[in-house]
Amino acid sequence: MVQLASRLLKSYRGGHVVIRFALGGCTNRPFFRIVAAHSKRARDGKYLEQLGCLDPLPNAHGEKVAGLNLERLRHWLGCGAQLSRPAEKLLGLAGFLPLHPMTVTGAERLRRRAQGAAAPPTGSSGGPDEAS
Amino acid sequence: MTGLNLQKVFRPVKTELKPPKYKLMTEAQLEEATRKATEEAKEKLRMPPVLDEREPIDDILAEDKFLEGTETTKYVFTDLTYSIPHRERFIVVREPSGVLRKASWEERDRMIQIFFPKEGRRVIPPVIFKDEHLVTVFQQDRHEDILNMCIAQFEPDSPDYIRVHHRTYDDIEKHAKYDLLRSTRHFGGMVWYLVNRKKTDGLLIDMLHRDLLDDATSLITLYHMLYPECQSAKEAKEGKLQGVGLIKVFVKTESQKEGYIQLALQAYQEAMATSTAL
Repeated sequence: MVQLASRLLKSYRGGHVVIRFALGGCTNRPFFRIVAAHSKRARDGKYLEQLGCLDPLPNAHGEKVAGLNLERLRHWLGCGAQLSRPAEKLLGLAGFLPLHPMTVTGAERLRRRAQGAAAPPTGSSGGPDEAS
Repeated sequence: MTGLNLQKVFRPVKTELKPPKYKLMTEAQLEEATRKATEEAKEKLRMPPVLDEREPIDDILAEDKFLEGTETTKYVFTDLTYSIPHRERFIVVREPSGVLRKASWEERDRMIQIFFPKEGRRVIPPVIFKDEHLVTVFQQDRHEDILNMCIAQFEPDSPDYIRVHHRTYDDIEKHAKYDLLRSTRHFGGMVWYLVNRKKTDGLLIDMLHRDLLDDATSLITLYHMLYPECQSAKEAKEGKLQGVGLIKVFVKTESQKEGYIQLALQAYQEAMATSTAL
């Protein structure tokens, strides 16, 4: 029966361990599990270990609850796991890793867009008035 | 034709009553069983800790002003490592303004209850602990139940725990319902609260009415241990008084309801005299 068990175990060519989000929950109700898995596995498939969770919808107190098992996270990072971009951003927000540069860039882009939306309406409303 | 008696339909359901088990024991085994029962009772009667109110946490770990405007809600991050005690767990909040701060005590308690649930504790504290509802509880004489619920729900050093306990003790002292807590683990806490605020008269009268002289003397010894500079303590130490003498000295110097206590003392001494005469 040992031959059967080794046939059942999936074997990949290449691939590495990643720490990423696995989506669960129901329709219109997402829920992410922070998971250490092989990179070639399905997003919601078999994982090596669950390291935490994130609820993207705010609760009654207006907070988005996230749990992180820092000790196991450090273990997997020590084993050479890589992080997905949203996982890196979340850990940057948490303070475990330094802030991700894309978070900073995203903030700047948002601010520039907000300034652009605020300035041209005042400029465009002044233009037609002057023309008329 | 069945009839509808709501009282009967919705009466509280009793759990299955097991028939009493009879064991045949020798004298020695009976003593052993009573000894074990007293030990278990002592364990159950151990006083819960009385602590000062905890200091609020406000510690900022990082300020990132440029994150302002990206998020609309705050993120609460909890460290889920299994082997850390709950007091040392890292629980951190990232505000929409970009400030990374440590979570306040209420947020900490909520998060710890969400991820590591404890039996008897709710995530959001029940409404019964609010002052207007505590009044209803006290009218029903259920002080012990509310104190047990309070111990299950709150940490000993949280302001809510202390507030509920103080309210309960005040109500008991106002209506002289000391007997409600007599053989429970809350009695010690109540005595400590009353002695700290010097409101021991009612309790003393109650003890004398129930002929508990040893309890009365221990109460006064505790009072002297806490306030060694007061007059009655000095007199007691000089005279090395015991029993009724100690109470008389205490009554003369410290109490407000002198008349009542003198009356109670007289009644007690008459009762003692008649019982010894018989």
